[in-house]
Amino acid sequence: MNIRVSSRGMDEMLQALFLFWIPVAMVPLGLWYSMSTSLQTSTSQGRFLAFSGVVLICLSPWTIPSSPSSAAGHLLGAIIGPCMLILLGIYLISFSGNVPVGKLPRSDRKLGVLMTGVGFVWLVGMHWWILTPQLSPNEINPYWFVFWPTFLLLTSCLASFSAVTLLMIGEQRKAESNAMFLVSGLSCSLLLLGLNIDGPLITANEFREHLWLAGADMVGIAVGTMLSILVFALVIYSYERSLPPPKSISPPTESELKQVSSVIASHLGGEEE
Amino acid sequence: MKETNLAFTWRMMLLAFLLPPLLILAIDITCFGSFKGSDSSVSFTRFSNATLTAYTLCSLFLMGNLFFYGESRNRPLAPLVGMLLATALGVLATVFFIGQGPMLLEDNGSVRAQAIYNVVHMFVSTGAIFVAISVVLGVTFSAITSQKPRSNFELEEE
Repeated sequence: MNIRVSSRGMDEMLQALFLFWIPVAMVPLGLWYSMSTSLQTSTSQGRFLAFSGVVLICLSPWTIPSSPSSAAGHLLGAIIGPCMLILLGIYLISFSGNVPVGKLPRSDRKLGVLMTGVGFVWLVGMHWWILTPQLSPNEINPYWFVFWPTFLLLTSCLASFSAVTLLMIGEQRKAESNAMFLVSGLSCSLLLLGLNIDGPLITANEFREHLWLAGADMVGIAVGTMLSILVFALVIYSYERSLPPPKSISPPTESELKQVSSVIASHLGGEEE
Repeated sequence: MKETNLAFTWRMMLLAFLLPPLLILAIDITCFGSFKGSDSSVSFTRFSNATLTAYTLCSLFLMGNLFFYGESRNRPLAPLVGMLLATALGVLATVFFIGQGPMLLEDNGSVRAQAIYNVVHMFVSTGAIFVAISVVLGVTFSAITSQKPRSNFELEEE
């Protein structure tokens, strides 16, 4: 019986390895491969590898339903639609404006606004309507509680940062700054609504708990990332310091200087028109 | 820009970044009378796990970047070994601290389950961070491009 149990456990681990972790690794590997090569076929292969990885991750709730990690694949499948709508919409709005290159038709602006609006309402509907990502009836995907507060909190902080940057560094950017303050205020309002109004599946107290956890998470990520960059800089610095100084060469001789002067003189001036 | 003005600008920008969470905290405390909903030990556990995981994964990413650094330096082994040790230190610290007991264990039963949960949690958080950065950069850019084009050659035109 023990052998059967351990063999089943091993199978689950292998399944998780092949159907979740290898696809996860395929995404950065494919992107790296597509960006590091100049050949068109290799670029396409890299993109295909990354795309296949994303598809396999999204399929993980069906391919490996027993693995807790597949909840992340479930979340990716749930949010990829609204996030792509928002990002594509912003792209259409941006490039249908006054850009010197790659300008899109003016009509794309309305389509962009519509796409961004629908994507945003879709995400909001995941909190306050029936669209909440659920692993099974009434069981909310735990990673939704990570994604949504982190996204709202950081959007609010970054938009506020961007608004003040436009005001202080940019010249005559008041209108743009106001737009960014509006985005920050909107995200802040959604956070405050989440802290006070229950959704059909998510209570305000649950959201409050996860909001401060998201804050702790972001501070932790910032500290960990800065530490690793510091260690990386130290490693490079100590290696460069250990290298012997480069060999110095003797100064140019008189004849070499004369030759250089003659070459420069022959390239200076020009014929009168 | 003068140095004092530059320092003032940076302070203002930092304050602007921190303003929304401080505002929400202030409103929450004002409305409820106290700072509720956050258990400091749970927050500390999340902070510690996030720090250890971010350090380890970012070290791994930077170790990959040594490939490009090595191209200009005749492929030295010393920095690679250094970053490998730094990454291994992160993995060992994670395993050691999670293994100490309930301090860093969230709702997971074993060190391996917690470590895997940390990595998946980091992917989700990083995804949210990337989406937020993309949205803010995109909205800033679209706000700039939606204005009328400016002429930079007013003096020449006159």
